[in-house]
Formats: sequence, C-alpha cells, structure tokens
Amino acid sequence: MSHLKMWEIMERAAEGPYCEDDEFLYDLFLPKMKEVVRKYDIKFDPASPVPADDDLADRVWQAAVEFFLAVGVHNVDTQRRILISAAELNEALFLAPEQHVVGAGHETRFWRPRRIEDERGPFCIFSPDITYDEDIFLQASMAYVQEPLADGVCGPILEESLGRNITSGTPSEMVGVMEHAMLLRNATKLVGRPGLFLVAVGTAQSDVGQVSVSNNEWGVRASDGRLIGVLTEMKTDNELLNKVAHCKQFGCAIGCLTGAIYGGYAGGAEGTAVLETAHHLVGLTVYQHNFNNSFPFHLQYTSNSGREMLWLVSLVQQALSRNSRILSTSNGFFNAGPGTDMLFREAAAHAIASVVSGGDLWTAAPRHNKHRNYATPLEARLACEVGHAVARQGMTRAQANEIVDKLLVKYEDQIAEAPAGKPFQECYEVMKVRPRGWYLDMYQTAKEELHGLGVEFPY
Amino acid sequence: MTIVDKLVQAVQEGDAAQAADLARLAVEEDADAAALVDALAAGMRTVGDRFGAGEIFLPELMLAARAMQGAMGVLEPRLLESGAATARRGVIVVGTVKGDVHEIGKDIAITMLRAAGFEVHDLGRDVSALDFVRRAAEVRADVIGASALMTTTMPAQKELIDILVAKGLREKYHVILGGAPVTEEWIAEAGADSWGEDAGTAVKVLEKAMSDKHASAGS
Repeated sequence: MSHLKMWEIMERAAEGPYCEDDEFLYDLFLPKMKEVVRKYDIKFDPASPVPADDDLADRVWQAAVEFFLAVGVHNVDTQRRILISAAELNEALFLAPEQHVVGAGHETRFWRPRRIEDERGPFCIFSPDITYDEDIFLQASMAYVQEPLADGVCGPILEESLGRNITSGTPSEMVGVMEHAMLLRNATKLVGRPGLFLVAVGTAQSDVGQVSVSNNEWGVRASDGRLIGVLTEMKTDNELLNKVAHCKQFGCAIGCLTGAIYGGYAGGAEGTAVLETAHHLVGLTVYQHNFNNSFPFHLQYTSNSGREMLWLVSLVQQALSRNSRILSTSNGFFNAGPGTDMLFREAAAHAIASVVSGGDLWTAAPRHNKHRNYATPLEARLACEVGHAVARQGMTRAQANEIVDKLLVKYEDQIAEAPAGKPFQECYEVMKVRPRGWYLDMYQTAKEELHGLGVEFPY
Repeated sequence: MTIVDKLVQAVQEGDAAQAADLARLAVEEDADAAALVDALAAGMRTVGDRFGAGEIFLPELMLAARAMQGAMGVLEPRLLESGAATARRGVIVVGTVKGDVHEIGKDIAITMLRAAGFEVHDLGRDVSALDFVRRAAEVRADVIGASALMTTTMPAQKELIDILVAKGLREKYHVILGGAPVTEEWIAEAGADSWGEDAGTAVKVLEKAMSDKHASAGS
C-alpha cells in the first residue's frame, strides 16, 4: 500500500511522459534490462534450482528496483509512462503492512509475510486456473472449497452460462459472471465455509464484469479479493486501472496478477527473475495491491516447473522476502495433466522451491493451463501439504535444492511431451465431490515417494 | 568475409545501423539486390529456427527483425528500380480480437512472418470482427490471423468467421487462429482453416497455404 492515491496514479496514467509502444520496448525496456542483468551479475546456475545465495537474491532485488524506476509502467491506451520516484517506492515499502486480514467469520485469516526458510506454513490459495463445464461448476468449486488447507479459493472459469457461450464485454459476460459468483458463494455455504476468502471472479475479463459482481450478499465481498493483471511486460491500460479504482473504493483485497515470460522480452532466466520481481513493485505502487499472484512461465511450455523456471521462481521469492513485506503467492503452472505421477512431482517441486524461499502458494494449473476440466484439487492438496511440511520441519534451501533436483531428474525430460492425464470427472466422483479410489491411491504413493526423499509430513 | 556475409551477420546480431550501412555499401558496389534479399531471408530463417529451439530469446529475434527491416528499406527501392518483384509470399492482416489486449504471441508471429517474407498488417489489440474484415478487403489480404489469449475472448474469433460467411467472403481468405487457449478442437468448431500453435508453426502453415494457393491459381 503506497501513500500514492488513486487519482495521482490516474493522473500519471493520463499525463505522464509520452512514449509510443516501440520506443518503450526498444529504447527503454530492452536496453535497461540488458544493462541491469549485466551490472548486477545475475547468472542462472542449472545445478541450483533452489539457490541459497543471499547476495544473488539481493542483486536481483536491486536490479528490479533500478529497472522499475527507470522504465516505469506503460499505459497502452494513453501511450504515457507512469513513473514512480525512488522516494515514493521506498515509502511504499516502509508502509507495507505487517499483516493483511482476509476472509470473514470463522474463516478470517491474518496473512503475514514469510521469511526465507520460515517455519510458519504458507498461505494457501487453491485454484484450478482453468475452465470447467457449466454443469459441474458447482461440484468442482465445492471440491476446492472443502480442501482443509485452503486459506482461500479462486474458482474455475466459466465459458458458458445458461448453455450459451460467454463473450467478454457482452451481456453474456454480465450473466456469466453473476452465475460464477453465485455458484462459488453457494459452494462455500454448502461446504460449511461461508466466510472463506474467495478471489473472484475469473470469468470477468472486462472492467464492467468485475464491477458488476461486487455484492456483499451474493457476489464478491469486501472480505474477498480480485486479481488485476499487468500486461506483457510492464504495461497496463485504462480498463485495468478502472478495476483498481473500483476495488479501492469497494474495499476488497487487490491481487496483482503477474506472469513474466521466460524467453520473452526479458530474455532468459536472469532477466525474467528481474522482471517478475519488478512486476511486484508495479503491484505495490501502481495497483496498490494487498498481494501478488506470481506466475512466471516458459514461453514455449506455459509452465514453471522446469529447472530454469524453478530457479527464477525461488529467486524472485527470496528477493522479495529479504527486501520487502510484499505478499506473493507463487502460482504453479505445470506440464502434465491430473492423474499422473509427473503432475504430483511437478507440484511438489514447485511448492518446495517456493515455500523455502519465503513464498506463499497458489496452486495449481496443470496441463499447460489450457485444457478444460483438466485440474483437480488433489494436486493442489499435495502441493500445500508439501509446503506446510517443509516449513514445519525447517527445511533449508540447500536441503530443498537436493530434493527438487531429484524430482526434476524424474520428470524434466518429459516436459515437452508431458502426459495429458484425465479430466476432473474421471478423477473425482463428481456428485459426491470426492476423489476416486485409484486417484487417492496415486496421491498416497506420491506422498510416500516424497517422504522417502526427505519431506516429513505431519499426517 | 564477403559483404553479403557481413550483412547477414549484422542482421542476425540485431545491429540495425550496421545492417543499413552494409546494405547501402552493397548497393553502391552494384551487388545483386535480389540475391541479397534471398541471403537475408535465409539468415533470418536461421534466427527464427534458433528462437524456436530456445537457443535465443525474443529480444534477439526482434532486434534481428528490426535490422532486417532497416536493410530492406535500402534494398527494396533498388529491387523496384531493377524491375525485380519483391516476391511477397502473401498478404496478412493480424490482430488480437475484441475484448483482448494481449499481444506478445501476435507480435512474435508478426516478427517471424515478416522475416519469412510476408507482408503483414498489424491491426493491434482489441480489434472488432468487422474491422478485421474491412482491413482485409482494403489491403487485398490473402490471410486473416486472429489471436485470443482468454477463453472468454475466443468466441470473437468465431464471430469473425461467422461474419465472413454471412458476407459471402469465407472462401476469399485463409483464416488462421492463435493464442494460448486455442486448440485443434476449437479450430474445427470455429470453422477456421488452420491453427498457429506457435509462431514457427504459423509460418510453416501459411507458407504451405500460400504455396497451395499459388499452385491452384497457376493450374
């Protein structure tokens, strides 16, 4: 939370230095990124998917700060740069709260920043991150909401409402987002967790869609949260800023959604780590967020469980944890589909790398985050159980590195051709909202394998 | 190293100023402009292949494409003077559909298509279905490319095709769809011609489509 007020941000978004798209990319973004990666001597080490180098983490932070202050955020609608001064950034970092309060009633959570190798468990948001069929949306939502380790849930996305396609920015979206919000709210009541922190609604792509579901009775409450994205890369637009303005007045938590692209404008793992850290500073100052959803991903695979991706996921969390109180949920994007050993291993590796590095968890998006119904709560459960276990046992980064390396050896050569797995309906008894027997057995086997590698589960 | 080799190297290294200077020097030395363009196209194809293989990243690809454009700015007038055709592979209008502001996938595809010799008209983001159709008519496009990153903006890809059908123009254009959530199943459901699963695939698919079209026109 910055002292900067919304109208100051909006003013800069409309009246900041004029800069067209090409100038922003070629004259500012690309050369500055190259400069800071070299200046701060940031180098990817494939032998350390979970690096334990505090100085490296601090250099990533310094590079991100220098990059952010120099480049700013580009508003593509006005072709203006929103610039934040060093003093304003430092003030925002100083004023960042010691804790945020989310959820309501018995589900109220006090969400506090974690330190590297912190023995306090991660804050866990369960989310499939993909679309489910309309006719199983309620049951799928209940399956996630009922997970005991869920501190919050971000429900599935709807592509149809009342049997008709939802198109963003049309009346079908207005109906669809209301249906989404109502079904998710009903899911919390049916499961007996009516106050659960919901991050909703993903079906609402447009600003109007987001505004229309703010309703403390049936929709998104002030005790819930919303995600507002940063465009690729270091960009925003008026529609996104409209969402910020609305959420600030409505009072819900703002989650800044950022996914720096490995292989994209920032280049390789080094630049992507710097960029993703800088994205958090956009959230802190421009969006005045309460937390960040961080999902750096590989351009080719749309996942973040490969060796270079885990390195940068870990490093981003360490940089943030050592230098700020920014809350960051590390969002797992995986290659394999549900009902496969590979997905459980990917989810575990990502959870370990994130949690020992000071991050919280937002999990999980299987099968490259693009196939309808291909996600289940069980891979998220495993990830969060692993996260709590490694925190509780005080796992060090060096120990984590050893385990993650062993997991990577088991799956990294399958990333390009990962198994598709099975959809939710084949993994769960849908109406009874419970995993099928074979699926529970597979999950249990995965836990036993992880126990053998050194993860001490409390149950 | 010949001047042609030096020019190709400058483009591959993304040195726009050097590429333009070398192109000018080559023209002054009466080099065959058509041969230079062919060499540059082959050089850019290597850059594209390296990008597809993950050996280089987007900044290197974009800087190389920019350097290529700089060199082409010098070479194209010479080609026209000499009466040689610029031999464009095809004309494409590309944009991100209405309601969607994500551009990186589209921009990568544009960079690689231009490097492969296509004339590409970038319509930008948040483009209405009707604007795709109007612009395609204006520039006499062969191909319409529509990108969507969100599942709830994908229906706008189908809307574009539905409008083409309604206007009796469907057979006039090859329609290619792209974007992270797009699948082969969606291509069939929407009624598109092809799927640009990634930028490299899009180039290959469209090269074949244009080749088939030209063969069909010639037969």
